[in-house]
Amino acid sequence: MLELEGLHSFYGRSHIIQGISMRVAPGEGVGLVGHNGVGKTTTLRSVMALGPRTRGRIAFEGRELRGAAHARARRGIGFVPDAEAVFADMTVEENIRTGALLGPRREHRRCLDTAYELFPVLGERRAQLGGTLSGGQQKMLSLARGLALRPRLIMVDEPSEGLMPINVDLIARALKRAVDEGTGVLVVDASFQLLKTVCSRVYVMKQGVITGEHDLDEFTTADRLVQTYLKGEAG
Amino acid sequence: MGESVAVAALNGLVVGASLALVAAGLSLLFGVLGILNFAQGDFFMLGAYAVWLALANGLGFWLGVAAAAVVVGIAGGLGLMAMLWPLRDRAHALVLLATLALSLILQQLASNVFGADAKPVAAPIDARIPIGSHDYPVYDLVVVAAAAIILAGGFVFLKYVRYGIWLRAVAQNQRMASVLGVPVFRVYALTFVISLGLAAVAGSLLAPLVSVYPTVGLDINLNAFIVVIAGGLGNFRGAAAIALALGVVEALGAIVIPGQAVQLVVFGFVIVLLIVRSQRQRVLVRL
Repeated sequence: MLELEGLHSFYGRSHIIQGISMRVAPGEGVGLVGHNGVGKTTTLRSVMALGPRTRGRIAFEGRELRGAAHARARRGIGFVPDAEAVFADMTVEENIRTGALLGPRREHRRCLDTAYELFPVLGERRAQLGGTLSGGQQKMLSLARGLALRPRLIMVDEPSEGLMPINVDLIARALKRAVDEGTGVLVVDASFQLLKTVCSRVYVMKQGVITGEHDLDEFTTADRLVQTYLKGEAG
Repeated sequence: MGESVAVAALNGLVVGASLALVAAGLSLLFGVLGILNFAQGDFFMLGAYAVWLALANGLGFWLGVAAAAVVVGIAGGLGLMAMLWPLRDRAHALVLLATLALSLILQQLASNVFGADAKPVAAPIDARIPIGSHDYPVYDLVVVAAAAIILAGGFVFLKYVRYGIWLRAVAQNQRMASVLGVPVFRVYALTFVISLGLAAVAGSLLAPLVSVYPTVGLDINLNAFIVVIAGGLGNFRGAAAIALALGVVEALGAIVIPGQAVQLVVFGFVIVLLIVRSQRQRVLVRL
């Protein structure tokens, strides 16, 4: 489904991603872990053509990914950034409809129903402005909006950051459901609970390179996983 | 006295309604693309000439209004977009200078092609209705009604229509809209077309009231900038509401303050608005 081969990414002269290769299959949850600033978010942004200049191969479903972000979204790739993902002056319902409007009219209702089913609190607040939701609810809204479009691959950046455990659980279950329904999920997150629920594999990243690929089953505790990416190699 | 106030208020509504159309377009362009278009008033002027040309060629007034909206909106909108697109990631000052240059070019072109003299345009409706001892022109009320319908249509478009919702999304967070698959380039193009189309329609509707000459858009451009700043940059509804209020305040002020001194009332009104807005902003920040 998603294949990165020898991907390099640059912001100006800064060489952020230095030749990484990875893959995500349909119906597979894959984690990308590592310290802050090692290039995890830049990897996701590179796939979505959101800023960095790239070199190397980014392929989706066997075909090279080209064009701007909206063209990539239309090929079936969803991206949920870690911040500023919600249209603050639009209602919850309008936020969800913004993406849904690309599809046929009969799909609009289904998108809304899916989002409200995943996170019932959004249904209760459908007329509320996105910017007035709590941080956790905004995370839910951006994820629900991304999942409701039924992308074939969804990339999620730090979905659990700053959330209470109960909300992390809700988000993890929503992503797990997407995996079970055949969506490829690439998630950048530090929550062991979330990674264990959603992913079967993790890539460990350090200073712009992939230093390891592991089955999640190798790690019985969060500490073991943290040790692994602190060292940048299997612990 | 009561009649004079009513008539002045109606006059204010006429000015405010057309100003609202120009300012709404200006506000839209700034909200979506961050562009302050100094040539907005010149597209008002082109709209007025479209009506004059239509009448001169026996095509009728309303066809002229439609032509102003479509031809000036599409050709002007896409032309302005083509001109400003290469400057989109450059300093704002360059964009401002480019639109200022376009404004001067359009005025000079209009002067060369049509002459510098004011050309009268006959209103399509001669009827008048009595307001007390005054006979008020029906056409002036038609201008207010037409502007109200267009602005209400604009509101419905932004609230419920697919491209309207996308336009708001792009204005708030272009990157996120793009990630959701919104065709951002097409939204930009539509914004240019709507923005200049609104200015052209305003010019065509107001042509019978102001006559047509190359610099007819200058005053309304200045007022539109005041309205957009007071109403909140990028705020479509705010711009429309402030324009109407400004028109009425100016007209009512003219009853007691003669001549150009009435502008003091207008600017005083704008200063009060800005103070109120800035206090509301501080409250929001505190929350």
